[in-house]
Amino acid sequence: MASAGRLDEAAADPAARATIGIDVGGTFTDFVLALPERQLVFHKEPSTPKDPSMAVHLGLKHLVDAHPALREARTRIVHGTTLALNAVLQHKVADIALVVSRGNRDVLEIGRARLPSSFDIHVAKERPIVPRDRILEIGGRTDADGIVMSRPGEAELDDLCARIRALGVGAVAITLLNSYVDATLERELVTAIAARLPDLLITSSSSVWPEIREFERTVVACINAQVHPLMEDYLATLAQRVDGAGITAALQLTSSSGGMLSVHSARARPIETMLSGPASGATAAAKLAKAQGIGSALTFDMGGTSADIAVIVDGVLEFTTTSRIGELPLMMPVVGVSSIGAGGGSIVSVDAHGIIKVGPESAGANPGPVAYGLGGIRPTVTDCYLVLGLIDPDGFLGGRIRLDKARAEVALQEVADRLNLPSAAHAAEAAISVATAQMATDLFKLLALKGHEPTTQVLMPFGGAGPTHANLLAEEAGLAGVAVPPAAATFCALGAALADVRRDFVAALGHARLIGLGDRLWDNWATLESEAKAWLAGEGIAILSQDLEYAADMRYAGQAHNLMVTVPASARTARDVSAVAQAFHQAHEAIYGFREDDAAIEIVAQRLSIIGRVPTFELPRTVAASRAGGHLRTRKVFHGGAWVEARVVRREELGSGTWLDGPLIVEQSDTTTWILPGWRLAADEVGVLNIERSR
Amino acid sequence: MRLDPVLLEILATKLTAAAEEMGNALQRSGRTMYVKETQDFGTGLVNHAGRLFAYPRGVGVIGMVDNDYSTVLEVIGELSPGDVVLTNHPFASGGLATHLPDLHLVKPYFAKDRIVGYGWCFVHSADVGGRVPSSISPSSHEIYQEGLMIPPVKIVCRGEPNRDMLAVMGANSRTSEENAGDLKAMLAALAVGERRVARIIEQHGVEAFEAAAVDVPAYSAAKARAAFRTIPDGTYEFWDYLDDDLVSPVPVRIHARMKVRDGLLDIDFSQTDPQVAAAFNLPSCGKRHTWLSLRLLQYVYTRDRAVPLNSGIFEPVTMTLPEGSLLNPVFPAAVGVRHATGNRVMDVLNGVLAAAVPDFMRAPGCGVTIPVVLAGPQTSDGDRQVMVVQLLSGGTGAMLGADGIDGRDPGTSGMSNNPIESIESSAPVMVHTYGVRQDSGGAGRWRGGVGLELTFSPKVSGCQVLARGMERHRFVPWGMAGGFCAKGSRTIKNLGRPDEQELGKIDVVDLEVGETITFLTPGGGGYGDPAERDPEAVLLDLKRGFISAQSARDDYKVVIEEGKVDHAATQALRATHVGRTAEAGTVFDLGRERLTWESLFSNDFMSRINSALSRLPPAARRSARRKIFAPVLPYLSPTGAIDAAGLVQARPAVERELAAFE
Repeated sequence: MASAGRLDEAAADPAARATIGIDVGGTFTDFVLALPERQLVFHKEPSTPKDPSMAVHLGLKHLVDAHPALREARTRIVHGTTLALNAVLQHKVADIALVVSRGNRDVLEIGRARLPSSFDIHVAKERPIVPRDRILEIGGRTDADGIVMSRPGEAELDDLCARIRALGVGAVAITLLNSYVDATLERELVTAIAARLPDLLITSSSSVWPEIREFERTVVACINAQVHPLMEDYLATLAQRVDGAGITAALQLTSSSGGMLSVHSARARPIETMLSGPASGATAAAKLAKAQGIGSALTFDMGGTSADIAVIVDGVLEFTTTSRIGELPLMMPVVGVSSIGAGGGSIVSVDAHGIIKVGPESAGANPGPVAYGLGGIRPTVTDCYLVLGLIDPDGFLGGRIRLDKARAEVALQEVADRLNLPSAAHAAEAAISVATAQMATDLFKLLALKGHEPTTQVLMPFGGAGPTHANLLAEEAGLAGVAVPPAAATFCALGAALADVRRDFVAALGHARLIGLGDRLWDNWATLESEAKAWLAGEGIAILSQDLEYAADMRYAGQAHNLMVTVPASARTARDVSAVAQAFHQAHEAIYGFREDDAAIEIVAQRLSIIGRVPTFELPRTVAASRAGGHLRTRKVFHGGAWVEARVVRREELGSGTWLDGPLIVEQSDTTTWILPGWRLAADEVGVLNIERSR
Repeated sequence: MRLDPVLLEILATKLTAAAEEMGNALQRSGRTMYVKETQDFGTGLVNHAGRLFAYPRGVGVIGMVDNDYSTVLEVIGELSPGDVVLTNHPFASGGLATHLPDLHLVKPYFAKDRIVGYGWCFVHSADVGGRVPSSISPSSHEIYQEGLMIPPVKIVCRGEPNRDMLAVMGANSRTSEENAGDLKAMLAALAVGERRVARIIEQHGVEAFEAAAVDVPAYSAAKARAAFRTIPDGTYEFWDYLDDDLVSPVPVRIHARMKVRDGLLDIDFSQTDPQVAAAFNLPSCGKRHTWLSLRLLQYVYTRDRAVPLNSGIFEPVTMTLPEGSLLNPVFPAAVGVRHATGNRVMDVLNGVLAAAVPDFMRAPGCGVTIPVVLAGPQTSDGDRQVMVVQLLSGGTGAMLGADGIDGRDPGTSGMSNNPIESIESSAPVMVHTYGVRQDSGGAGRWRGGVGLELTFSPKVSGCQVLARGMERHRFVPWGMAGGFCAKGSRTIKNLGRPDEQELGKIDVVDLEVGETITFLTPGGGGYGDPAERDPEAVLLDLKRGFISAQSARDDYKVVIEEGKVDHAATQALRATHVGRTAEAGTVFDLGRERLTWESLFSNDFMSRINSALSRLPPAARRSARRKIFAPVLPYLSPTGAIDAAGLVQARPAVERELAAFE
């Protein structure tokens, strides 16, 4: 068996290979190179937005020059890109046609009938992703039981294809009603169109994600079709750039589920890579949480424009099926990353009634904070950090950007004057406490949705501002503590390098009684299993082992909302339907606080995830550098309405087992960690900074 | 204000979040479609004055920010920790509940041994008994027909559920199990609010919490006042209609006169018609009411999107609501379909505001929110499946600089629709068409959004279709600033077949296998002269099917040949055109039926009639009104049309009848 062969090959010599994780961001493209013998190399290359693959090329060249052994090594490159996402958000995607069942032409115009705001008289709806003149109806209809009610004839198909041709589009999406039950009609239509228009890229909704709800499924099919040509071009260019850098590497792409895919899969279903950026960082945090034995963790990715969190339970990331791409819903399961408000660029202001506000406006990277001196005149959260003494004006981003503290003080003094506060530092602290309260309340709402308890959560910050703000948030929200990972600012690239091969599969059932399904339940999973295994084998990626994870969307009869429940593999093996029911009762009780053992259970969808474990690497052990000059450095930090003297250390100075009390500042080239009074820091052997309350 | 500007912002954030967390908890664990899919529920925090000081922004209904809990708190008397008050009784709750399916819960939150505030939530339950499945029918004429009435009672007493009361409720509902599930979810939501309030008090102290319950609304009040100051001082008047009162084809008029002075709004509804013998009455109990003030909330929000949502927004607003009128009916008026009236009040206030600030307001939207309900065949044990097939609205009105929204309308709430696939997998129906309705938006320089079409048929015999809130069959959404009015509603059985039948408004319709029923909803009104619309935009609308070729030529005066605009011919056609603004000298295009109706029943004449009626005791008004309008009945078609010549003939008889009461 082909996959077994690769298993052996990988297991035989897992250390003799190199892995490179690459994350393309707006400002920097980050690289993490994992070499054998626990050696990690980090590199930042300025991004090249006009041709993102150029920064990849330059960064790889830099790494190859520094580590010539890479030329000979068997290397994997795992690449994360937001190209497809940005194209959709900026409406720079290919024109496509959409084919739908007769009577459903307005699936995108109506959507789910909601508008972004019901309070706003001037509200507008999202731009339909395919305008109505490019949506074509066809007499193909399946009913809810999967029975074909009508089929288009040859003449109708000829006419349809003539109309598609007249539209001059390069790709077409197809969504027929109830194709989630039975995809026969969609498959026939793909064949019929391909025969008449062989050059067209065709996406059928059931082939990408066969789940009930035609609007959401149509969005998935359309986005996939729209980014298809773009990703084809990009991946072709990327492959050339990698070759040009002088290494022979297998190229893989990170996915929205925190895993990765072969280039081949990413080409066929580019939509699966859409939200890969934030998912990679969260994946790295989950692996670290597991290694550190942290049961309940929250990732906290705070950059310039927003702060994002994801929930980790026992080392496993929570997924969501209600994420969004801009204003559009994405029904496929992805790592549940949610925004909780302010970023470093969020603007601090005072409204006409004298009340302080933080955000929602952001100065972004340009003009950025006042202190950047790039033309920003309105103070931001980053300016607050600076005025409070949390960050060093000369050490920001390793000294790449010199911050102008005096300018930030002037801007915040204006805020202070309007609030009747004595100083710029008072205004800065007020703004930070407002921003923190916003984050904490958003955090509570999110945890409440899933029934999690805040007090047991450990915050795992990354991104430029994450470590600076994490302790503030942990204190406000009453969290258990903070664990700052090593390489916090290049964490998404690390996540890419650590990603396993992963893909999710779904079989939708409509509304079936669990008990009434009989063997169909197990047959469905068996079908998904063979589909998944065939896919994994076809990926051509060397793996150590493969895992199958089962889940089902269920509800009590009469409920309108489903719950996605993990089904233990043992239930699948033993074909034990009562264990499936138990899993649902338990999950329902955990999330909703009650269970109804006597109520009938409906099952709406069965899910399967396949995970191919790739050879992993361990974080290098830290060796504490001796303190520069040997003397104690301190800095004044404004906290609790007064200036306090905070000790300042370099992260490199912290060896395993170091204990230090707050107020404390830990500096490193790409971020600053702030430890509050009343909290203390313990550094461990792989460089994780654990922050907890002093006893 | 007692709070400083930093703590105020922090507490406003935390309180709103607490209300939202309650909403999340309720939505998560609720049982029925009303909770899960259409979000017909609400949560919030109530202060000592019995007013909301925290309300969610993104979960639940939008329209209950101006709720008044003071009557409920007064009636129930002393409360202990662990008590929860339940009511659905519009008249006994002082207008908190507005129809019987809305179950409202209020729970006192204690700090030490003192009440510091109250948690509130409500759910529209699937059925509370009464004469029809789902409890709501336009043809109910007494609230006794609309289900079980529950005055404020303790459904939980010191943490112990009131099992007797629960048994009574269970016995009076067709969906008792689902209701019990929703009730559990509501109690869970109240507990979430209680925990969150306790944490806020732990962090900031009880004084700060209680100060916030007053100061946050005061802050919103200041913001609202500033927003209302954008309305020039003056008096503005507008009126609009419900098509009929169901028991007769006589229209029901809602009239408002708004006086504005320095950001203070006084709205007088005195010239609104008397209460009706159908379920359209809106029980405000004579106080400024959340269903009457919603458009004002939207006005404030649109001017200032950062305003915290709470009762303070309405502080600058006073209202006059005469007893016995449609907007302040007396017991035992039926109220089930009060949302149809609420929708029309929104349009009336929209008109009042449009008269004052025409550059800011939209033309009215479809003005309907129609839950189309299917009652399945009766099973052997007497049950029948009752479910909402689809929640229909229509298009949104156009405004200066922007077209209306096609096929969606913010309406009175932000509810989701049901996917066709969900409908077909859970109800015995086949949906043939669910799409937009060509030419239904009012033509204009900015086009009104188009309405919707829904056509479906049952797959088993013995099904009935019910629809509530059917409106705008006769009087259509009007156009503004030279824009045209929209197309009105229609309901049709077996559309496109030889036995096609125009149903007009329906209550309950039997539908057999093989038959179809079609609902067509209105678009929104147009804004500005359509002959000034960019011809290329007209061409695009034609290509996309939002308008027909005929409308492009007749309404927009655009000549299109072989898929392209003929600019020379268009210019020639437009040169001879006189816009409606110039023609009629009016801001509003009110539609043909309305102009016809008002050729007899003008504003002055209606004032005379209502003045005469208001001198009668409320109980006598209905029959008096019936007499006055009796002469015109033959000229009002049940599907909407009004016979103009007939009205002229009827005039002397109407005058005679009126004189008898003057």
